Amino acid sequence: MSKETFSQISPSEFFYRNRDLAGFSNPTRSLYTSVREFVENALDACDQKKILPDIHLSIKAVDAEKPDPKHYILSVKDNGPGIDPEHIPLAFGTVLYGSKFGLKQARGMFGLGATMAILYGQITTNKPVTVKSCSDGKTLDEFVMLLDIQKNKPVILKHNTKEGSKTGLTVSIVLEGDYSKAGSKIRDYVYQTSLITPYASITFEDPSGEKFHYPRIVKEMPRPPTVIKPHPHGIDVETIRRMITDTHYQIPTIDNKMIDKVKKELALKKNLTPKEILERAQKRWSDISRPVRTVISVMSFLNIDFEGLKKIRIDDIDIANKTITYWDFGESQTHAVDLDPESPYYKQLASTVQGDTLLTFLTKRFQRVGPTTAEKFCEFAKFKPDKRIGSMTNEELVKLADALQKFEEFLAPDPSCLAPLGEEPLSKGIMKFFNPEFAAVWQRNASAYSGFPFIVEMGIAYGGDIPPNGLKVYRFANRIPLLYDEGSDVVLKIVNETEWARYKIKGEPPLVIVSHICSTRIPYKTVGKENVADRPELERELKNALQYLARKLAVHMSRQGAADMAKKRANLYSKYVPLIAQFATELAGKKKEPNYNQLIRMGSEIEEQV
Amino acid sequence: MRLKNKSSAKTAETRKKRLLSLLEQQGLNIYESLDKGRFPQFVIPSRSVSNIVYDKKIRQYILGSASAVRSSRNMSQLRSYTQLAWLAFFVNRLVREGKSSTLRDIYYSSQAFSIDFEDQPESDNIIVDLEAVLTSPREEFHIFPEERSSVFGDLTIEYTVPGYEGKRMNLSDHPDGYLIGPSLSSAELVDTSAELVIAIEKGGLFTRFVEEKVHKKFKAIIVDTAGQAPRSTRNLLRRLNNEMGLPVVILADGDVYGEHIAMVIKSGSANAAHLRELTVPDAKWLGVWATDIEKYKLPTIPMTESDIKRIYDLQKDPRYQEGNWKKQLEVFLKLKRKAELEAFSKYGLTNITDKYLPAKLEESKSF
Repeated sequence: MSKETFSQISPSEFFYRNRDLAGFSNPTRSLYTSVREFVENALDACDQKKILPDIHLSIKAVDAEKPDPKHYILSVKDNGPGIDPEHIPLAFGTVLYGSKFGLKQARGMFGLGATMAILYGQITTNKPVTVKSCSDGKTLDEFVMLLDIQKNKPVILKHNTKEGSKTGLTVSIVLEGDYSKAGSKIRDYVYQTSLITPYASITFEDPSGEKFHYPRIVKEMPRPPTVIKPHPHGIDVETIRRMITDTHYQIPTIDNKMIDKVKKELALKKNLTPKEILERAQKRWSDISRPVRTVISVMSFLNIDFEGLKKIRIDDIDIANKTITYWDFGESQTHAVDLDPESPYYKQLASTVQGDTLLTFLTKRFQRVGPTTAEKFCEFAKFKPDKRIGSMTNEELVKLADALQKFEEFLAPDPSCLAPLGEEPLSKGIMKFFNPEFAAVWQRNASAYSGFPFIVEMGIAYGGDIPPNGLKVYRFANRIPLLYDEGSDVVLKIVNETEWARYKIKGEPPLVIVSHICSTRIPYKTVGKENVADRPELERELKNALQYLARKLAVHMSRQGAADMAKKRANLYSKYVPLIAQFATELAGKKKEPNYNQLIRMGSEIEEQV
Repeated sequence: MRLKNKSSAKTAETRKKRLLSLLEQQGLNIYESLDKGRFPQFVIPSRSVSNIVYDKKIRQYILGSASAVRSSRNMSQLRSYTQLAWLAFFVNRLVREGKSSTLRDIYYSSQAFSIDFEDQPESDNIIVDLEAVLTSPREEFHIFPEERSSVFGDLTIEYTVPGYEGKRMNLSDHPDGYLIGPSLSSAELVDTSAELVIAIEKGGLFTRFVEEKVHKKFKAIIVDTAGQAPRSTRNLLRRLNNEMGLPVVILADGDVYGEHIAMVIKSGSANAAHLRELTVPDAKWLGVWATDIEKYKLPTIPMTESDIKRIYDLQKDPRYQEGNWKKQLEVFLKLKRKAELEAFSKYGLTNITDKYLPAKLEESKSF
């Protein structure tokens, strides 16, 4: 049998090799993606701490004379909570898995993008990242760092501490970019981000020194999302496997540290016999932690003291054969001891090894699943409720995942993990940005697709300062503007399928639609995350929202149309009747003009004739 | 010498008086409506296809009894109502002051009175509306088209236009002929030695006829219709026929369009169905007939698709349902070839005046 060698690569190296996937395929796209990652991180940080965001973004050419693509300094400064100085090197100098692991709506998914941008900057310019952070409002820490790609760890080149006054974080990188090509997208991005984040103040200084400032429009922040457990419909086999591993308590390693923990929890001051220890544990059973309970259980079956525990290694607890196997370092041999299923400690060991029962697992690890629903589900899936999840075979796991998808009696997903912007801030943003003659917004109730909750918010604006160049759609997902791949997006599809003539909209209307989809998982069509797929549930919500708003617009258009018509009529009569009078007077050979004033008044009052 | 037959014709002066009184009546109607708080309106005989009928008795197209109301009450008609009122007002000034205008001039004049015509076709259309309201041709409004045809021959006229009133003039003094313009159209026809009017489709042959002294040889007044005869020309032809008692004959190209030029002079066009006094019901079409093409062995060219389509169209016209008119259309359709008046020059430049014209005039006595 030949042995294959597997070499492990660090996460940084993995991303380095796959940077195209993360949106760093060329200097244009990379500059745009870097801006997005830093701005979104800054906004997320402020949101989490309920701080009204104040974001400064600047892009400066290292050498303005050079042609694009060239080196740019990208800096993003926020007024967020900052980061503890001890965490900064790890947060910015390593690629981390799962820094955002709970289930709630956030702009970035795992917080990996910013590190990717730093990595990209380092690869293209060999310049370090500069991070300035103030987390306590007193001291400002400045780090200059490089990433060691192979080892996935930071190399701190410089660290100093100064006096600080306000909390916040500034990140600067040097990267190769092409502003001449990325500029319009970046400006669009900043503009649209400001529209969907009306509680933020955003300033962008471009390489020419021009400043784009979007002041704060509303002072209230939307309700922050809460972290919640997953919904059974949104789960696949792999996720279940991870959740089980997570629940599946290990037999603790029994070392000095562990023994100190046991002693502490049992408040043991002097050395007791195993029997005395067990007695003491029994009394305090409900107060002691799970690992300690496991250690006590092992002690009871092996009938040894702490010193004895130090000399052995537990190899296996075989519940099927009711034996416990251990290695004795002193004797250098394996021992097997039978487990007495009648012993009160047997259950403790069994549940440790095999994990919770299915019933407990369902109610503890999923949102909105109570014992009644869990029991019904077990019946539906043909599992025993007291089946230990740790003892499930691969086939059983697949069967479980499958049943979780199919069972229809789970409650709809909890939308409290979502943070829509809200009708009022959205409406204020739209009024400020477009100054329209008419605007309406609507937030739909929460809905779900495949176990992921989502909320659709939509706004419509017509006339006023909006140029009559035809319909323009602004798409947002989790408060991020979607700028690319417009054509294949579900929102565009819905808008284009609408018969606008039915809503009295014709030609190239001065019309803007703002669509915001919030979800714990936006069903993007591609890895580029720029276009949303047409899930039927999502499509229905979008369609309902759009139709509602279009009907409101139609009412406005009819009113406006009637008012316009009356005005037009009045204008026409006051223009033409005096002329007719003038001509008739001369034709009839009269000197004085007839009294036509009442006719002008009557003319403007006539109902429209068909 | 033939003297003018005064009893059978309205003189220029009486026509003017009639028109001015019609205009004043319209003005009074509008004035009164406005004063009493009513929306004034015009009643316009409908010129839609369904209301155009051929009257066999007077041998021309006329309008049926349908009419449309253009009301200032209707917002969508207010603008065109005002345009029509303005035109009546403007025509009143033109006629009273003895000034002339053209179709194009009317379009531009409107701008001085804040009457906005979108284009000349729109103003031309309003002129036709006024013609229908007052049942008078626009020439009586002193409004003329840009294109003009000519007349030559021994005819004495007396001007009525301001500054020339009473002045007389003989139309054989200038070999290029005289433009049939506003002053000639409004002139009184005094006397003539001619016994015949020859209307000819083309300017080139008109000049040839003058050179060949056709006016003397045939005692004729020669009129160049310059293609489809303008209304002022048709009105002059009618007056020469009516007031001076001269027969009118027509020479046009040997094709379907030539035949129709003759027909319009004789019995009018659908476009002018709202008007009278533009036709010469006794006018005779001398040629070139389809049958002449074979008879005189004229060089020909093939007809185009649109020529043939035009034949089919005319075959549906009630005036082409019998006699020579019908027969010639059929022969044209059979030949699918056409000949121009100039075709006779194959047999010498004077062939048309020396041979063809005398022969056809002789032949015309029998139809």
